[in-house]
Amino acid sequence: MIVDLAHVVVMASDGVPAWILAAGPAGGAATYWALYRYYRNTDKSHAYERDTLIAAQPVRGSQEKVDHISRTRDSDIDGDNKSQHRQRVQRLT
Amino acid sequence: MSSPGSPSDPPPRDPDAPVFDGPPLSLEEELAAARAEPEPGPSIEMVNESLADGVNRCPKCGSTDVRQRASTGRLICLFCRHELSEARVEEEFGLGVGIDQLEGTVIAGGAGEISSDEDVITMTCTGCGADVVVDTAHAMNARCHWCRHTLNVNQRTPNGAVPDAVLPFRLTHAEAVEKIREFASKRRLFAHPRFKKEFVPDNVLGVYLPYLVIDASAEASYVGQGEVQTRRWTEKHGDSSTTYYAADVYRVDRSVAFTVDDLTVEGAADRANFDGSTTNNIVNTVLPFDTKNAVQWNSSYLVGFTSEKRDLDVADLEPVLQDQLLSIGRSQVEGSLGQFDRGVRWEAEKVDVGGSRWVSMYLPVWLYSYYQENTRMLHYIAVNARTGETMGSVPVSQWRLLAAAFTVGTFLEGIAGWLLVATS
Repeated sequence: MIVDLAHVVVMASDGVPAWILAAGPAGGAATYWALYRYYRNTDKSHAYERDTLIAAQPVRGSQEKVDHISRTRDSDIDGDNKSQHRQRVQRLT
Repeated sequence: MSSPGSPSDPPPRDPDAPVFDGPPLSLEEELAAARAEPEPGPSIEMVNESLADGVNRCPKCGSTDVRQRASTGRLICLFCRHELSEARVEEEFGLGVGIDQLEGTVIAGGAGEISSDEDVITMTCTGCGADVVVDTAHAMNARCHWCRHTLNVNQRTPNGAVPDAVLPFRLTHAEAVEKIREFASKRRLFAHPRFKKEFVPDNVLGVYLPYLVIDASAEASYVGQGEVQTRRWTEKHGDSSTTYYAADVYRVDRSVAFTVDDLTVEGAADRANFDGSTTNNIVNTVLPFDTKNAVQWNSSYLVGFTSEKRDLDVADLEPVLQDQLLSIGRSQVEGSLGQFDRGVRWEAEKVDVGGSRWVSMYLPVWLYSYYQENTRMLHYIAVNARTGETMGSVPVSQWRLLAAAFTVGTFLEGIAGWLLVATS
């Protein structure tokens, strides 16, 4: 049976890709993590960026083209932290 | 009265002449001025002048049995049912206005530096003269064991126990029990069996926790790189294919000036630690409170509740404020980055705090706590006693979680195997 399954995995390149066999472990880990977070709420905190009274002036700024990437397999920029507001970067004084 | 041009008029000032700013100082005076301690920053004195330490008497009948009535948020005399309340600090001290004109660090009296760690205060009962001890780490009232007067700590203490303002409880004990029961009942299946067995939501405690409520004006600046996709294509390599991208890279800078009104941070070090060894994030999550409704300090609001003493100074929390202002600034500039469809990587940031105003407050939380012995973890279920927002940490049964994960994993693996076999 195991030999048959291995044979199927090798031969499966025309149909469903072989990596679909990772669905079991991945689904199990995701289930564990989702349930754990629902019970323990370790990821929750006060969303002060949204829940505080903030009066902001218009955003100022500029952008300047400095380079061109002609061919890459990455679908997005390395280290995208546009939406990770709490991830601190180098502090200028 | 002198007429224009009369000899008593001062001569017209030469606009180019240096401005005379007083007589020259002697060398000793100059040196003394240079060595002097910096002047303390501006502060707001919010002491409730109408109260003194000792007994808070009902203005109508003189009884000291005054406590808060949760359903109204007002104080009630248990003897004659007279209701009273303190003034809102928002209007009394003009806290909601002029944030954009703030300069320097303005610290209200109750948020001042903690200069003593003495928790126990001995008060002389003004009813009978007996000495009564109040442990200000946990309570701001005590009953005189001789004459049964309720004694109140209303004067500023050097240990940080008396804040500027207090936000009265609004949710009753019964409502808090119901919220906690509802929260836990949704999390029964995978809860630790011992937690379920020992779950008694009626044991919830009303606690006033210390917070510093900050108004601030700031300007935040960010520098980084953003990428805009210019082309996307797919190349075939034998049986497989790969997608490639081309992109323009931009140097991006953004800055935004903003004010924040009533940013709330923990004033007790034990609550301010958010690493994974505690469940303090649970209590943090029930923020925000309607701090605009906070009233001037009167310890009668604390009768029947426990309290936790503030032990962090403004200087300790300045980095926390800056960190939160940087995060707020980042969220404000995010809307201006739409053109960078491949994302933005911020590399450096800066915040200039133009001015900040710090007020210490006791804020009301209903707290259910459970100590899990095997992991030595204290789990909280907390209810915001103003808004009713509830958050909690329920200890899990690891083997049940693993069993569920294994079941789901096996099921998915079965489907995957079947698909492979069916399409081969």
